[in-house]
Amino acid sequence: MSSWPAEPKYISHSTARVDAPAKLTGSARYSSDIQEKGWLYGMILRSKWPSAKVTAVNLDKARAIPGIKAVVVAREAEFNVRYYGEEIAAVAGTSKQACLDALRAIEVKAEVRHEFVVNETEALKADSPRVWDNAPNAPTPHVHENGNVDTAFPGCAAVIEGFYTTAVQVHNPMETHGNTVSWTDEGVTAWASTQGITSVRDGLAGALQLDHSKVRVITDFMGGGFGAKFGPGVEGVLAAKLSKAAGAPVRLMLTRFDEALAVGNRPSSFQKIKIGASADGLLQAFDAENYGTAGIGGGADAGGGGGGADIPMPYIYKVPNTRVKQSAVAINAGSARAFRAPGHPPASYGMESAMDDLAAKLAMDPLELRLKNDPSEIRQREYKLGAEKFGWKQKYQKPGSSPGVVKTGIGCAGAAWGGSRGDRNTQGDATINPDGSIEFRLGVQDLGTGTKTVIAVVAAEMLGLKPEQITVRVGDTNFPYGPGSGGSTTCPSVSPTVFDICTKALEQLQTQSGMADVRGENWFAACKKLGVSPLVVHGKWQPGLSTDHACGVQFAEVEVDTETGLVTVKKILGVHDCGLIINQITLESQINGGIISGMGYALYEERVMDDLSGVVLNPNFETYKLPGIADVPDIEIVLINMPERGVIGIGEPATVATAGAIANAVFNAIGVRVSSLPITPAKILAALGKVPPPVHA
Amino acid sequence: MNNPEPENFGAHSRRTFFKSLGTVAATAATAQVRSVAAELEKANAESVIGPGAVPVTLKVNGEKLKLTLEPRVTLLDALRNYSSLTGAKEGCDRATCGACTVLLGDTPVYACQKLAIEAQGYEITTVEGLAKKGNLTKVQQAFLQKDALMCGYCTPGFLMSVTALLRKNPKPTADDVKHACAGNICRCGTHPRILQAALSAAGVATASKTEVVNYV
Amino acid sequence: MKAFQYATAHSTDSARELVAGNGLYLAGGNDLFGLLKEYLVGADLLVNIKSLPGLNKVEHGKTFWTIGSLVTVAEIEDHAEIKKVFPGLHDAAAEIASQQIRNVATVGGNLAQHSRCWYFRHRDTQCLKKHGDLCYARDGENRYHSLFTGNSCISPVVSSLATTFAALDATAIVLRDGQETRMSMAELYHGAWENPLAHNSLDKGDLILRVEIPTTRTRSAYLQVSDKHAFDWALVSCAAAAAVVDGKLKSPRVALGSISPVPHQVEAANSFLDGKVLDDATATQAADLILKDAKPLEHNAYKVPMAHAIIRRTLLKLKGDA
Repeated sequence: MSSWPAEPKYISHSTARVDAPAKLTGSARYSSDIQEKGWLYGMILRSKWPSAKVTAVNLDKARAIPGIKAVVVAREAEFNVRYYGEEIAAVAGTSKQACLDALRAIEVKAEVRHEFVVNETEALKADSPRVWDNAPNAPTPHVHENGNVDTAFPGCAAVIEGFYTTAVQVHNPMETHGNTVSWTDEGVTAWASTQGITSVRDGLAGALQLDHSKVRVITDFMGGGFGAKFGPGVEGVLAAKLSKAAGAPVRLMLTRFDEALAVGNRPSSFQKIKIGASADGLLQAFDAENYGTAGIGGGADAGGGGGGADIPMPYIYKVPNTRVKQSAVAINAGSARAFRAPGHPPASYGMESAMDDLAAKLAMDPLELRLKNDPSEIRQREYKLGAEKFGWKQKYQKPGSSPGVVKTGIGCAGAAWGGSRGDRNTQGDATINPDGSIEFRLGVQDLGTGTKTVIAVVAAEMLGLKPEQITVRVGDTNFPYGPGSGGSTTCPSVSPTVFDICTKALEQLQTQSGMADVRGENWFAACKKLGVSPLVVHGKWQPGLSTDHACGVQFAEVEVDTETGLVTVKKILGVHDCGLIINQITLESQINGGIISGMGYALYEERVMDDLSGVVLNPNFETYKLPGIADVPDIEIVLINMPERGVIGIGEPATVATAGAIANAVFNAIGVRVSSLPITPAKILAALGKVPPPVHA
Repeated sequence: MNNPEPENFGAHSRRTFFKSLGTVAATAATAQVRSVAAELEKANAESVIGPGAVPVTLKVNGEKLKLTLEPRVTLLDALRNYSSLTGAKEGCDRATCGACTVLLGDTPVYACQKLAIEAQGYEITTVEGLAKKGNLTKVQQAFLQKDALMCGYCTPGFLMSVTALLRKNPKPTADDVKHACAGNICRCGTHPRILQAALSAAGVATASKTEVVNYV
Repeated sequence: MKAFQYATAHSTDSARELVAGNGLYLAGGNDLFGLLKEYLVGADLLVNIKSLPGLNKVEHGKTFWTIGSLVTVAEIEDHAEIKKVFPGLHDAAAEIASQQIRNVATVGGNLAQHSRCWYFRHRDTQCLKKHGDLCYARDGENRYHSLFTGNSCISPVVSSLATTFAALDATAIVLRDGQETRMSMAELYHGAWENPLAHNSLDKGDLILRVEIPTTRTRSAYLQVSDKHAFDWALVSCAAAAAVVDGKLKSPRVALGSISPVPHQVEAANSFLDGKVLDDATATQAADLILKDAKPLEHNAYKVPMAHAIIRRTLLKLKGDA
């Protein structure tokens, strides 16, 4: 079995992001920056109805707009649209302005249906309009039972019931979905803003009926994905069709408006939870019903990475008697897609809220309740370490006992993420040149998580070189296969692969150079002995160097202005186990990012739909609110170093516990539960009983 | 902010004068009460251009960029779609995300909400214009050292906001940085690092708040 | 955005002449481009008014200050004298949008900006404000909407400069049909109170030239509450201004934004406060008077206690250190 170097020089230290200079000088070319010779601008026309039968699409006037080179329909003949924003047609032209004019010139004939539903609770009602003609909006809930909750509850010393809800969250990566696609006689090249170059290639090849070998996908730089960017999407296929029709490359990036409608989101959740414990605080029974919406259906046209609306319940806790009923309810809205730790943030929020409500009922410190019930040894350790660093004991007051108008509160919550030890089919190769320069090529992609830097760090460590001496190339399907970046698996996929490439490179270089040790200061002399032929080595993922199942706990401190309802997060402490730390500085950035994303989920983010018109009311950054620099608290991180476990991904575990911790801190501050995310000033004031009943004028 | 006279308006004012006589200034032309000379003077000053493409000269990063653009083309579209300067990013096209931030003189503005024709006459700086001869500026170096970037898509905008702040206020407080950068959105969550980088570029020491604890 | 022509006006006469067809004035463009990009307004010609002479100055005499309509919000924020003389105005300016927007946004544009109602701003809803037959917000998603209105539309005024100018009893000087017309803030927005289609009382071609602020009120304050801590619209904003003579308020005025189509002012509250020494009880009574007739809807009732709190706090801020 392989093992990592015992006293590393770069691994577990901090190396500056290797592609930082390119990103800092503007020379990094993102998918949306590609300017192939003769490129055209592309745009999509979307349904302005939440439900309609499109009977005819007339493209003639659009084609006549000066500068327009191609117009295609998204679907042939008559078709139904089932949500506001579904694709109808696409245009390509020599300028954005021509495309804008062309979109307005397309004539769409449709039988508009006024029966639609965009509200989950309405959609559950028997008389609700149906999203799909031949199926109810919600299938019969599936039930998972262990033990017997009905007999267990009467024996509990404390029982609480709560209804915890979370809103639909939109991924909103800074770079929207999209591609530049060039379709020529030789095949298709797509510069994709994707987190899965291989899945985009396969998706495009399938949709365009081409051999996989005729499709090449390139992703040098991409501006974030968070789970929503695995497939080519409708927009990728349309870009390819436009390219073929126009005989020119087409850059088709979605607008921010489009981004809120059709390319994924995190499902909502409506969690009715009943939980009971014995007097000593041991959980005895858990009875829950949950529904949420994944739009017209998880994965229906998600282009990969879809999902339903189920969440893991009772999340990280072991309860002897459980009954969990769940169902996904369809509404006339865009499909859900995987979103950073799918299912976990709502599950953590719901369960951890219930835990604090139960602790209050038991008159118990909620941290103590967790220590009594959390089966994970690692989290037990994390809670204890975190509590000490956070000053939990000194800061903890009973819920609602903080004095004054602006009340402070603290809370905590836990996270688990299964992940995987990496994709065991991950491969890569390296070219070692006689001048000592070395280039690694892996068919993975760097989403901004630091994958390129991880490759450079591992290679430098293994070869005794400096990270800046390693050239790293990823994001090209012409490179050896690499997995899509999802499930926090990229780091555990590439690290062992680079380990293997390096091990083989050292062996072969030793043989060819006749030198016993070719590393470090001997490297260049050894390479020189290659003569004129570079050495090309191929490696693949190896077992024993990575692991799965990460745990984390987070602590939050908030201030709540009980007169205005404004919540200010003062501090978040994240305690996370990360196995073998590869590169600390980029790891910390991942944790910061997870926390801030979780904070948005807790306090600001909500897709708002209008019942009457069926539109998304906030397809923008003005009213779909993301945390900004003025909202972000002091963030402290404790990394539990466990090199003996090998490499673990951290992207997802870091975002799970934040919302629960913040929600519990708010509860601790004001003594009443805001049981709905996001926790807005309006909801705080309502929870405090300050909001008068509405008067209809 | 000064509003310099677009420098090349004179160049095509003669052509557009006749156009303007035919359209907007028609009342003035038919009234024939003022002298032709006075009319000429007025029209030269207030020529109507467009809606078709007109010559536009932008001075970006010290170099002249001669383009032909419809008046409705924004500065961001001009840079990204009519030149190879794609450093300024489009994140929203609605003045809400800051990825397109560029400097007009020393002033940060959203390039998506500025017409290209109105950016004429300014010294425009984009992210490509910060590093001279490949040497990163202090702000860029601080971003690199503090890892104040992840996917990097918002980074050009933040760099411009921080650069502008430090030019105006070389010794900012944390609150000053937050105030100056509130108009930039980052979805990866680099905000704490951007704050540290901005302060660090201003010579304020910032310490890491991370602790590494061995499990065994 | 549809294609348009473009011209720079060098005199108010030519600006009016140019805009007379299907033209619109263009200053900072923050509001205008948002409307144009969503095809909510159309124009054949944009008339750049940034070169109009004399409108980009801040001047002061003994009895009033004049702020030109082309002065940017950033210039107000950075103006050291304004910060001393009208701290409320400084604070309001500093909370407007973002640095990038403040750098180009003008006083005139801030006052003349259109509704931010998300139904109005949506390209595919045909609400009352867009000649539709229904206010979608009234029985819909109305969390950001008005507690007071004089018509069927419930979209509130969001200009925080207007709120502050109202408290300072400032006057907008508007060029209308070639004549300078003086309008109080109440008058400037009265149109929106009466007419669902209107965002203010300005007619087509009207041009805000400057704002005059009397110096009689030596104290001023501004506060807003938003969902977020920066770069977010106010859920409720409040400005207050008064002179303080022998510890007593003189000519006090309180105005609120984001709860009515007009800067919300209640004369009874102003006269109640006149001559009073500020304390919690007085501030509370004033807040009660100001919000007495509020008609909350399904999702915006939280604005009542929120407004109540910031009215009190804004008033108490007037006390300052004195």
